[in-house]
Amino acid sequence: MTATLSPPAAASRADARTRRRRRGTTLPYLAYLLPGAVLFVLVIGYPLVTNVYISLFSWRGGLAPLTWVGLDNYTELWHDAAFWTSFQNSVAMIVAMVLVPTVIGLLLAAVLFDYLGRRFGARVASVLRATYYLPQILPVAVAGVLWNWILNAQTGALNEILRAVGVADPPNWLGDPSTALPSVMLVLIWVQIGYPVVIFMAALQRVDPELYEAAELDGAGWWRRFRAITIPQIRPETFVVTLTCTVAALKVFGPIYVLTRGGPESSTLVPSYYSYLNFFDKSRVGYGAAVATVLTVVILVVAVVILALQTRAERAEEGVR
Amino acid sequence: MLHRARTLSAAALIAASALTLTACVGGGGGGGTTAGGGDTDDKTLTIWHYENDDSAMGQAWAKAIEIFSEEHPDVTVEVEKQTFEQIQKNAKIVLTGDDVPDVMEYNKGNATAGQLAAQGLIAPLTDAAEKNGWADKLSGSLQTTARYDENGLMGSGDWYGVPNYGEFVGVYYNKKMFEDAGLEVPTTLEELEQVMKAFKDDGVTPLAEAGAEYPMGQLWYELVLANADRELVDRYQLFDGDVDFHGPEMTAATEQLDSWIEDGYVASDSAGLTAEDMGVAFMKGDYPMMVSGSWWFGRVTAEMKDDWGQFNFPGNTLHTGSSGNLWVVPTNADSPSLATEFIDTTLRPEVQDVLAQTGGLPVAGDASTITDDKTRELTENFQAILDDDGLAFYPDWPVPGYYDTIVSQLQSLINRSKTPEQVLDGLESAYTDGKADLLGE
Amino acid sequence: MAATLATVRARSGNRHHRGAGRWFVLAGAVVVALLVVAPLLVMLLNAFKSPDDYTQHGPLSLPTSLYLDGLVNFWQRTEFPVKLWNSFFISAVVAVAACALSLLNAYAIGIGRIKGRMWVVLLFLLANMLPQEALIYPLFDMARQVGLSNSQWSVIIIFTVIQSAFGTYLLASVLGTFPPALLEAAALDGAGRWRILWRVVFPIVRPTLMVLMIFFFIWTWNEFFIPLVMLTTNDTQTIPIALASLQGDRMMDAPTTNAGALVSLVPALVFFLIFQRTLTRGVTAGAVK
Repeated sequence: MTATLSPPAAASRADARTRRRRRGTTLPYLAYLLPGAVLFVLVIGYPLVTNVYISLFSWRGGLAPLTWVGLDNYTELWHDAAFWTSFQNSVAMIVAMVLVPTVIGLLLAAVLFDYLGRRFGARVASVLRATYYLPQILPVAVAGVLWNWILNAQTGALNEILRAVGVADPPNWLGDPSTALPSVMLVLIWVQIGYPVVIFMAALQRVDPELYEAAELDGAGWWRRFRAITIPQIRPETFVVTLTCTVAALKVFGPIYVLTRGGPESSTLVPSYYSYLNFFDKSRVGYGAAVATVLTVVILVVAVVILALQTRAERAEEGVR
Repeated sequence: MLHRARTLSAAALIAASALTLTACVGGGGGGGTTAGGGDTDDKTLTIWHYENDDSAMGQAWAKAIEIFSEEHPDVTVEVEKQTFEQIQKNAKIVLTGDDVPDVMEYNKGNATAGQLAAQGLIAPLTDAAEKNGWADKLSGSLQTTARYDENGLMGSGDWYGVPNYGEFVGVYYNKKMFEDAGLEVPTTLEELEQVMKAFKDDGVTPLAEAGAEYPMGQLWYELVLANADRELVDRYQLFDGDVDFHGPEMTAATEQLDSWIEDGYVASDSAGLTAEDMGVAFMKGDYPMMVSGSWWFGRVTAEMKDDWGQFNFPGNTLHTGSSGNLWVVPTNADSPSLATEFIDTTLRPEVQDVLAQTGGLPVAGDASTITDDKTRELTENFQAILDDDGLAFYPDWPVPGYYDTIVSQLQSLINRSKTPEQVLDGLESAYTDGKADLLGE
Repeated sequence: MAATLATVRARSGNRHHRGAGRWFVLAGAVVVALLVVAPLLVMLLNAFKSPDDYTQHGPLSLPTSLYLDGLVNFWQRTEFPVKLWNSFFISAVVAVAACALSLLNAYAIGIGRIKGRMWVVLLFLLANMLPQEALIYPLFDMARQVGLSNSQWSVIIIFTVIQSAFGTYLLASVLGTFPPALLEAAALDGAGRWRILWRVVFPIVRPTLMVLMIFFFIWTWNEFFIPLVMLTTNDTQTIPIALASLQGDRMMDAPTTNAGALVSLVPALVFFLIFQRTLTRGVTAGAVK
C-alpha cells in the first residue's frame, strides 16, 4: 500500500521542489531583460505615448501650434468611410500575407527539407530556398516598378501574353477597382513566400530525426509523418509566423504605395497608408496619429489573441510532459 | 566566428551608449540659431537641392555657384544633393533641428512652402527682396508663389521664397503622326476636338493619359480654365471667395472630359497608368498627343525618335503652370545673409541665360537669344503665357491632400463608375473640408 | 527471419519510391522557383538598357546594346561606395546587436519563465506593431537632444530595438519548448545561468539565430523611411535613399533604378547565401546530448 502511495507523493514533492526552484530563480533572470527593457522604453515607449498624446490634438506638424480637440479625432474616425474601407481591405491583406504564404511556405519548406533535401542533397534545397527568398531581399520600390511592368494594362507582360494567346480585352489589373485588390494580393504573396520557407526550414532542423525514424519503422508514410510529427514539433515557429505575418498584413504600406497609392477609387486603401496620407499629404498630424493609434490597438488585440493561444498550447504541452 | 560576434556585439552596445553620452557626432556641428539678419557663420554656405546635375536647373545653379564663389573668395560653398522625397516629406521635421542648410530648394504652393512659412520654419525675405529689387524681375503670377501670409496662403504677405524658373502645361505632339493623317496643329478647342475625332476614326487613340497620377487632373484643369477667368482662379487658388463646383465652368469642363472619355479620345484602361507610362507611350509613338508639362522637355528631346513639337493648349488664355521651385532660407540657418546673396546671384542675367539655353524656362531671361529651335519654341510659348499673365497654378494646390482626391475622382470618371455630377460632388466636399481646416487654423 | 524479410521489403519499397516520384516533386519546386524569379528577370533585362531603348521598345524587350552609362553616373553621383559602406555598417551592427539583445531577452522569458511572460513578449512586440510614421517625430527630437542628429548610431539604436522585438518573440517561443532535462543536467553539473546560456542553449538555437541574423541584416538593409528622416547629408545616408534620388518630383529613371537596385541587391544576397550555409549544417537536439 505504501508502495502505491509513494510514486504520486514523490512526484508532488518533486513538483514542489521545481516550483520553489523556479520561483526562487526568477528574479536573477530579470537582469537579462534589463538592456532590452531600457532601450525599449526609450525607443518605443516614449514615442508611443507621444503618439497617443498627439492624437488628442489637431496639429499641422513642424512648429505649428497644437490645438486641443480631445477625442474629436476619434469620433471623426468612427464616421470616416475611408477609414472603415481601409480596415476591410486589411482582411484581404491578411489572406494574402498570412493564410496563403503560411500554408504554401510550410509545404514548400517541408518538401525542400524533408523530401528534396534527402533525395537530391542539401545543395538543391538551399538553392531553391534562396530563390524563394529573393523577393524579400528586393527593396519595395523596385518591386513596385517590376510589377507595374508586368501588370500594366497596356504594355505589361501579363497582358501581352494574354493577347498573344488570343484574349481580346485583357483586364485592367491595376486600374480597375475590381481587379486591383487581387493584383496587389498576388504581389504580396510573391513577396511574402520566402519568409515562412526560411523560418520553417530552420524549425525543421530542430526536430529530432529519431522521431521520424521511429515513425518510418512503424510504416508511416511521408504525409502521416508530416501531420503527426512535423506540425506539432514546429508549433512555436508556426505561431510566430502567423503572428508576425498578421501584424505585417495589418501594417502593410510599401507595396500599396508603389503599386496603386491606395487607388483606384480607394479600392486598395489600407490603414497604414491612410495614416501616412494624413501625416504627410494632408498635414493632419493629429488625425493621422489617431489612425495610427487605432491601428496599433487593433494589432495589439490580434496579437494578444494569438499569443494567448500560443501560451495555452505551450502549457498544454508542458502538462503532457 | 560566433564568439567574435558576441564580443563584437558587446563592444557595439558599449560604444553606442558611450556615444550617446558624448556630444555632437556627424555632419554640421557649429552655428547657433539667429533670428534672421546676422550670420553666425559667414565662412560656409550650405545649399540643398534635388535637381540633376545635367538638368537645366543643375547647370544654371552650377553657374551661379561659380559666380558666387568668385565674388566671395573666402566662403566655402557646400552643396548637398538631396532626394525629392527627403525634402518634401521631411522638411517639416528636419528644419526644426539645427542641422539645416542656409538655402534650400523647396516646392511652391500653399501645401508646401506655405506650410513651412506658416510654421515659421523658413525666414521671411522681404527685406532682401526690396533691397535687391526682386519684385521687378518676377512678373505677375510668378510672384504669387513667392509670398505667403500668416496662414500660409500664397499671394500676399512676406516674401518667403524666390523662383528661378517657371513651368507650364501644354501639348506635345508627334509631327509625323499629324503629317501622316494630314492634320494641322489646332488653334481652338473645337479644332482640337476635330483633330482628335480624325485620329479616332483612323483607329488611333489621340491622347496619352495617366489616371493614377497628375496628368488627368491637369487635363481637367485645362478644360476648366478654357471656360474660366482670372477671378475664378483667384477664388479657387487664393480663397478670394467661394467656388461653385457645380457652376458653369466646372460642369462644362467635367462633362466635356466625360464625353472625350466616352468617345474614346482617352484610353479606357488608363486609370491605372502612371505619368511614366504615359510619357513612354507618347515617346514611343503610340499616341499622337500628350497634355503635360515642360518638365518632360529634356527627356522627349533625348529619347523621342519621331519629329515632334509643342503647342499651348488651344484657345486658352489661362494655363496650368506656375513658377518653378523656390529657394527658401530656413529660420535656423547660420548664414542667412550669404543665402540671400546667393539667391540674388541666381537671378542674374548670366545664370538666367544658362536656364534659357537649356530649356529651363527662366523667369527673367530673353527667349530670342536661344539657339536651339525646340528650346526656343518652348520658351516662346512660355513667354506668351507670361505676357498674358496666364499662369493659373495647379489643380491640387488649394488644400493639402487634394492631389489624391482629384486622382481618385477622375479614375472613377475614366472607369465610368461615376457621373460628372458625382465627381464634382466628391471634389467639392474635399475642397470645402480642406479649406475649412486651413482657414480655421 | 520474418522481421528481416519485412525490413528487406521495406527497404526495396523505399528504393522504388525514391525512383520516379521525386522528379515530379523537384519539377514542381523548380516551376515555383521560376515563377518567383520571373519578375526579377525583367529587372535584369532593363538594368543595362539605355533610356531611349527603354522608351522605344518597352520594358520587355532585350536591350539592343549593353548600356552602362546610367549605372556609372548613378554610382558617381550618389557616391555609391560611401552609401554601400554605410548600409553595410548599419545593417551588420544592427544584425549582431539585435541578435544578442533578443537572446538575452528570450533567455529570461523562455527559460527563466518570469512571471507574466506573455505580457512581456507582447510589450516587446509593440516595437513591431507601431507604424513608423507614428514614431518619427519623437525619435527625431530625442536624437537631436542627445546630439545624435544625422548620426548613424541613432539609426542603429532604433533598428536594434525594433528588430530585436521580433527576435525576442521568435527565440522566446522556441526556448519556451526547450527540453528542461538539458537545463537540469547542466544545473546539476554546477553551471550558473550565464554558463548555461552559452554552453547549452546557444548551440541549440544557433540555426534560429542564424535566421535572425539574415532577417535583421536584410530588413535593415532595405529600410527607407527612418534613415530618410534621421540622416540628412550624403556622407551618412544609405543605399535606399540613394535609389530614391532617381525618383524625382514627376520623373523617374527606370533603367538606372533597376541597375542601382541590382547593385544594391548583390550584397544582401551574398550575405544571405553565406549565412544560409550555416543553416544547413544543422544542429539537432540529439547531437548535443
